[in-house]
Amino acid sequence: MVFGVVFVALWEAAVRGFDLKPYFLAAPSKIAEQFVKNASRILEAASVSGTNALVGLIVGTIFGIVMSFILSRFGFLNQLITPLAIALNAIPIFVLVAVLNNMYSITSEIPRRFMVTLVVYFIVLVNVAKGLTQVRSTHVEIMRSYAASEIEILRKVRVPNAVPYLFTALKIAAPASVITAFVSEYFGGSQNGLGSRITSNIANSKNAAAWAYVLGACLLGLLFYIISIVLENVASRGGVANNTNNNNKNK
Amino acid sequence: MSAVNVQGASKIFNQGTPKQVDALVDVNLTVEPGEFVSLIGPSGCGKSTLLRLIANLLEPTTGEITVNSKTASQSRLDQDYGMAFQQAGLFDWRTVAKNIELPLELKGWDKAKRAARAKEMLELVKLPEFADMYPWQLSGGMQQRIAIARALAAHPPLLLMDEPFGALDEMTREYMQGELLRICSETKTTVVFVTHSIPEAVYLSNRVVVMSPRPGRITEVINVSLGSNRTEDTRGADEFFKGITAVREALRGTHDDHANAGAVRGVEDR
Repeated sequence: MVFGVVFVALWEAAVRGFDLKPYFLAAPSKIAEQFVKNASRILEAASVSGTNALVGLIVGTIFGIVMSFILSRFGFLNQLITPLAIALNAIPIFVLVAVLNNMYSITSEIPRRFMVTLVVYFIVLVNVAKGLTQVRSTHVEIMRSYAASEIEILRKVRVPNAVPYLFTALKIAAPASVITAFVSEYFGGSQNGLGSRITSNIANSKNAAAWAYVLGACLLGLLFYIISIVLENVASRGGVANNTNNNNKNK
Repeated sequence: MSAVNVQGASKIFNQGTPKQVDALVDVNLTVEPGEFVSLIGPSGCGKSTLLRLIANLLEPTTGEITVNSKTASQSRLDQDYGMAFQQAGLFDWRTVAKNIELPLELKGWDKAKRAARAKEMLELVKLPEFADMYPWQLSGGMQQRIAIARALAAHPPLLLMDEPFGALDEMTREYMQGELLRICSETKTTVVFVTHSIPEAVYLSNRVVVMSPRPGRITEVINVSLGSNRTEDTRGADEFFKGITAVREALRGTHDDHANAGAVRGVEDR
């Protein structure tokens, strides 16, 4: 907190002291001015990017969870699909947006949402699948000694074990979904989101305005992260996510 | 009717491959109801394998195993035994009481009946005030007592334990041994107990089964005549030291037979 205040003060001082031109680096005071002036437009752009991120986050999470259940149930599928998933994750999938933009109409938000879905899907899939499969062998032996069926082991051991992994995934995926939504806007399509506003303002040398949109983007990313943490706290109050702090101790 | 009856049981892992391991060969063991029997021996002697055969967590390659005069698999399905491991294996996302209720849930008991039994079991292990806490808030010894309470929650006639006190410090361990004897005599439970510790085996058991490795088999069965009322004073009794000496010599025998210096490694003298 103190560091942040000092940093902004130094920034302001540097811009004024060295008389830096606005097209090189805008002063925080100018950025704040632009932020207030354009508040309604920033909010509008943020809601466009935010909606894309949110839709992708929800759809990606659902698909990721469903797929992780299927993969953990059928080991052979896991061996078939995991290398494919890793290979797919290694290519810079952002370029897909350009292709998808050609497939759909130019004003469609679907390519951007699809991109967010894809990114979130991998993060959730990898983590939740880990949570479902990496259960303590003692737990499985105990369940078997009680003559528990595979379904009961899934419900009472694997799923609760995977819950903290899901929240870890969401904490990574929530900010990533926002970033993906911005970057997807760089590849054409409607100029209505935060990402495209940043590029167009920079193109017009309106640096302070561009920075104001960057600030909006930061706040949006932060909001998504906070929501993921609040969700985790709500869940752990029910006792389900408590074992994150204890997993290492027992191993 | 014997509590456990093992007739000519063998367990061979990876049979017919270069990695073949004769974990157990031609084992015969009978445990009477109410008896406390320890399995002791160096690492690799198959004592944990034998316990898992009785529990039906593994199938024997050859031989017959009956528990309460039923096949081992039938008695597992009927939850005729409870099991405890070196790691307490409690579920961190369940409260202590809910952990104890787990086997009862799987048996389909209703909520009120489960809660009443969990309360009864917590009284038995003397931890009634911890019902609503989570396992990670408890010490290692307390966690192990909860694990025993869970294993006995359905009142099974047989308790199978795989080095349950192996991860505890010496003081806690001796306390737990006393508690286990008290609990078993109160509930009249038959116990098969795997351990690395000679004094632990002698202090707890009516009979100590000494095993040897490569291939895993029973070499000697030693009767411990300490009577049924064992206290802390028992640890200073002549009979206790006689028992320890007898088990130690039996374990040495497994050593000399094989001229293998590493064979008794893993057995604690303390």
